[in-house]
Parts: sequence; structure tokens; C-alpha cells
Amino acid sequence: MYVAWTVKHKPRSLKDVVGNREAIRRFVDWVKSWEGGIPKKRAVLLYGPPGVGKTVTVEALANDLDMEFVEKNASDYRTEDAIKRFAGLASQYGSLFGGKRIILLDELDGLTGTADRGGVRATIEVVKTAQCPVVLIANNAYNPRFRTLRNYCLLIEFKKPSAGDVMRHLKRVCLGEGIQAEEDALKFIAQRSGGDVRSAVNDLQALAQGKRLLTYEDVSWLSYRDRQESIFTVLKMILYSKTCEGARRAVNMADVDLDMLFQWVYENAPAHLTDPHDLANAMDALSMADLYRGRIRRTQDWSFMRYIIDFMTAGVAMARVNTKASGWIPFKFPQRIRMLSRSKAERAIQLSIGYKIKRKCHVSAVSASKEVLPYLRIIFKNNADMAAGLAKWLDLDEKMIEYLAENKKKAKAIIQLAE
Amino acid sequence: MKLWCSSLSFEMWAEKYRPKTLDVIVDQKEIVERLKSFVKSRNVPHCVFAGPPGTGKTTAALCLARDLYGAGYREHIMELNASDERGINVVRETVKTFARVRSIGEISFKIMILDEADNMTSDAQQALRRTMERYTETCRFILIANYSGKIIEPIQSRCAPFRFTYLPREEHDRHLRMIAEEESLNLLDEGLDAIFEVCSGDLRRAINTLQAAASLDKPVDADVVYSIAGRAHPADVRKMIETAMGGNFLEARKQLRDMIQKYGVAGSDIIRQIHTEIFRSAIPEPWKIKLVAVAGEIDYRLVEGADEEVQLSALLARLVEAGNELR
Repeated sequence: MYVAWTVKHKPRSLKDVVGNREAIRRFVDWVKSWEGGIPKKRAVLLYGPPGVGKTVTVEALANDLDMEFVEKNASDYRTEDAIKRFAGLASQYGSLFGGKRIILLDELDGLTGTADRGGVRATIEVVKTAQCPVVLIANNAYNPRFRTLRNYCLLIEFKKPSAGDVMRHLKRVCLGEGIQAEEDALKFIAQRSGGDVRSAVNDLQALAQGKRLLTYEDVSWLSYRDRQESIFTVLKMILYSKTCEGARRAVNMADVDLDMLFQWVYENAPAHLTDPHDLANAMDALSMADLYRGRIRRTQDWSFMRYIIDFMTAGVAMARVNTKASGWIPFKFPQRIRMLSRSKAERAIQLSIGYKIKRKCHVSAVSASKEVLPYLRIIFKNNADMAAGLAKWLDLDEKMIEYLAENKKKAKAIIQLAE
Repeated sequence: MKLWCSSLSFEMWAEKYRPKTLDVIVDQKEIVERLKSFVKSRNVPHCVFAGPPGTGKTTAALCLARDLYGAGYREHIMELNASDERGINVVRETVKTFARVRSIGEISFKIMILDEADNMTSDAQQALRRTMERYTETCRFILIANYSGKIIEPIQSRCAPFRFTYLPREEHDRHLRMIAEEESLNLLDEGLDAIFEVCSGDLRRAINTLQAAASLDKPVDADVVYSIAGRAHPADVRKMIETAMGGNFLEARKQLRDMIQKYGVAGSDIIRQIHTEIFRSAIPEPWKIKLVAVAGEIDYRLVEGADEEVQLSALLARLVEAGNELR
């Protein structure tokens, strides 16, 4: 069963919450001040960007201090009825069972529009008369709508945790999942998240779920993913449009270049057009688009671009004849682009051997590493004498020999023979 | 242990047995004749050598240079590989520096061999075109490409085109037998058959296969060859066709992708094998000729310079369609 790691690995205690130490300390002090009677401000307003741990902090604190935790989303208490019930909850510090109570009103920013004006007003009423700590959470505390409300609240700002803090949290998650992760991989995710811990954990789950080992190569392609949300919309238009025009319009909406969009369509069309006949026609349309790509390259006549667009959008859309739209099929990142960023280290050593071959064999280093190297590998595994001769002839270094022989002992023997 | 094993004077055989002069190249007869006429007239136009891998394009260019300039030919030529340095700056700097300095000696021009020129960006090709024009007096270009279609029209129109084709079977066999004899290697007939089947006329790959087979130190039979080929290029076109015909397009496309990207199999090779398999397999008869039409069209597009994976996956999708008729 799918469980979001943001939920599964949510910090249960304040000591596990990363970043914002000072803000958390102030918050704890305020809550504890209720022990000595009702403080001047009966509510606290925690504000800051999404995913920095505001809600998590409240939950962890309630857990640490063993308080009864009552949570409402702003959208839940819009109606007068709900507000009354809510006011009732807030009117007692102790709950029926003797514990202490803390109340959280989350997502205050959700109160928009004129219909919700009453919501803010009601909230102020609740705060004014509260008999237990009331915590409000918003992204933007300085929304003019909260002007009056602000006067009744202690304001505590939550800032973006540093990349190092985010990384610490990711490590904890990896530990919990039994995943070995390269330091660089986690650093990359952490930096990319820009302090949004939630999105970092989501990314981590998307990349690492089901794996034992997470490498830098596994994550580096993420940088392409930033505009995914809008690309999904565009893909949907292309793959499900009923008219040519509708599909063609998608191109104007895409904020990736045409080549990239082509790769997205090429990757995803098969899963969405499963009828063999439709599939063949869709792939045919894409091959036509590709054909014109080549023709532009050759003739340098960019006016052919319109045919590329037609085939890769309308051509694919019109291929849908028998395939019914069925449920939700996830879009996948183009594998061809992902492959390019894979196994950087291995390709580096292959290429360095390729350059050695190039010096002797009149082939490019790139094709040598693909075409000649596999045979060298067989030779290096099977015949130390021949390998030693070739190593000498090609002037390979120790690391290269080791890579080709795939075995340190064998590599040593080859090097000895070569000397 | 055999004597030659301890001598340690190994080279890559593909290099060791590369013909050194045009006279030794027995195949590609028409091409060789034309090149010889260039040598005779002491003049060489800009050329495009196009054709599949391992058919002697680079060899022909090197032989031409050696025949033209003699033993010291290295001083008069430059080899540049577009796959390794395909940027526009390389053309601007390296090519220009080389091209503009006049050669000293009997022949007043130098030769620039631009290998894998189809991998150059079109910007770089545009820059190249101007350089070619400007320095025609002092430098002649030989552009080598798998697909001439990937070379921009203006360059093609300035070059004498040469189309290399796969080696005929007899030439292929003769060459490998010669090497086997020189290396005192026991190459069985069935081994030779197998090499031709897996390398389909790509001589460089054939020789590499032979050398890797030799490293096993036993007679080269079909099993040895297949195991070498399987380990070097685990490309199983037949399996890919079956996967597609079975209806699993995504898996078939993944196999295609691995062949092209991981193992560097040429698209033209794949399509040739598919063509052979079409008539061997249990596809409905009327579909066979339909598929041949698609294969032919795609083969032509690849020569024109289209993307191998995209084009071949369109063919795979047709195979899925054909397979669906069967079920």
C-alpha cells in the first residue's frame, strides 16, 4: 500500500524537527506560559513558506507535552455552526479527561473571497475568549485581511531550513526506510528543495522507493523536472484532444522547447494509446515529425517547423480511434533524456579508454568506447598475455586496466606482464 | 603456451591489418578506381564518404593520402573526429589553422579528414562550409559519415559523393581468413559463418570479434563467436520482434533503446536484421509486404538523417499491429 513518506516519517518529537530552533523555542515558551495563567496573547500566529515545518512543530509539541491536540483547517470552520462548535472547544483549557488542550487552525490563507470574511471575524472572536492555547498558521501573516487578527496574536516567523538541515531530515528518512544514499544525492535533493522539507521528502520517495541504494545519477536528472506541472497539462491536451486545433494549441502553452516536448510525447504516447492500430498511427505521426526535424537540419529551412508541430500534436491526437480514455495513467519523464545523465562515472572511464583507442585506431573516442571497448573487456578477462600486449600498445593506465579486467587480481597480473 | 602469446607484441588487429594503400583494397571497386584517378592526376576534390560502419571509409581516406603524399603523408593530413569535438569552435579554430597554411612540397594542398561528420551540429557545418570555400586552394576535405543525409545540402553540393556499401561475403571471408592465417588461429568455417551473421559485413566489428575469440585460446567455432557477440553486443533483434509481435510495445522499445544507446548498434544494422526476420517469421502473409514497405521507408529516412530510435519504434508499433492480427 502506498504511504506518503511525509506522513510516515513525520517528526514525532520537537527534537526531530529540523531548522527554526529559535522560532520553536519562542513557541514552546509561549505554550508553557499557559501553566501560569492566561498570557497576554491567547493565540500564536506561525507564518512562513510552505513545507518548512509549521504544522509539524505544533503536532510534535503536543506530543512532547502530552496535550490533547485539536486540528481544524480553515476551510472547515467557515460555517457559523462550525465556528460555534469550535468556540466551545476553545473555551476550556482542560479537556474532559483532564489533559491539556491545544488548538490548531491551519491554512488560514485558505480564507479568501468575501464569503470567508466571516471566517476571519469569527476566528478573532474565538481568540479573544480562548481558554487554551490557540495556534494559527498562515503562509503570509501580512495579508491585510489579518490586520485586526494580528493584534491578538504573538507572531512567530518560520524560515526556510538550510540545505544541511533538510539533508539531516532526509538522512533520517533514509535510515527509517533502510536506504543507503550517497551524500551527494541527498545534497542535490536538499538544495533543489529550497528549504521546502515536504517537497524534498516527496522527491526522495519518488526517486528512492523500492531501492536499497540511491546514487547521485539517480537524482541528477531531477533538474529537468521543475516544470513538470505545466508539461502534464500540455501532454493531456495533445494526447486527449478531439480536434486538430486543440492539440496544436498545446505547443503555445508548453514552456519547454519543442525538442523537449517531442521527447515527452514520444515517451508517453504509447501508454495512452494502447490499441495497436492507434499506437501504430501515433508512432507513425511522431516518425513524420522527426523526419521533418531532419529535413530542417539539412536544408536549414525553418519554415518546415509547422509540419513538425502538426505531426507531433494533431497527428498524435487524431491517432486515437479505438483507445478509450481509461482512468489515470501517470506521465513519465522521457527516458532518453534520463539515460543521458546516468552513470556519469562509468562513462568517464569508458571515454578515457576511448581516447586511448582513438590515438591508435582512427575512430572517435565516443564510438571506440561503444564499439571497441566491449571486445577489449572480453580479452582482458580471458587472456592476460594478449591483454598485457594491448595495454602496452594502447598505453592504458592502472585504473583503465582494472576497469577492463573487472578484477583487481587479474589487473595486477596484466600489469606485471606488461612491464 | 603458444609462441606468439609470450611475444607480447599485440595490437588491435583491426588496425594491424588495415590496408595501407589503395591497391590492397580489393572491394568497393568503383570507389577505389575513382580515388586512384585522383592520385594519378595529383588532384583531389572535397569528398563525402558515406556508408555503414566498418566498410572501409576511413581506410580509403588514409590510403588515398598515403598514395598521394608517400610515406611522410602524416605531415600533410589531419584527422579530426566530429563526435569528440563537434562544437562550432573546433571548426573555427582547428580547421582554419590547419586549412590556411599552404603545404610545402609537390602537392600544394593538404587533406583534412573529418570523421563522423554527421555528428556535427548544423551551425558547425555552416561554419565548415565557409572554411571549405575559402581555403579550397590549400586544403581539401574528406567528410566521413554513416548517413550522408545528416550533412547539410550546401556542403554536399560542394563535395564528390562516395557511397560505401557492406562488404560482399567473399571479401569478408577472404580478409578474415588471411588474418587467421597470419595469427595462426584456427578459424572454422562455421565460425566464419557465425561472424558474418552477427556482424553482417561490418569488417571492423568482425575483426574485433575474431580477436576477442582468439583470446579464448581455442578453435573459433560458431559457439565461441555467438558467445563473444552476445557479451559484446547483447542485441537480440529477433527477441525484440517477438516482444513487439506479442503486443508489448513498451518492452520492445526498451530493448531497442538499449541496443542503440548502450551497445552502439547501428540503426541500419537493426533494420537489415528486421527485414530478414520479416520473411522468416509467422506474420500473416499480406502483412509481410506491408511491413517491408514500412521498413524500406524507414531505412531511407535513416539515410536521410532521421533519428534512429524514433523511426525504428514506429516500425515496432507496426509490428505490434501485425501481431494483433495473429491473435
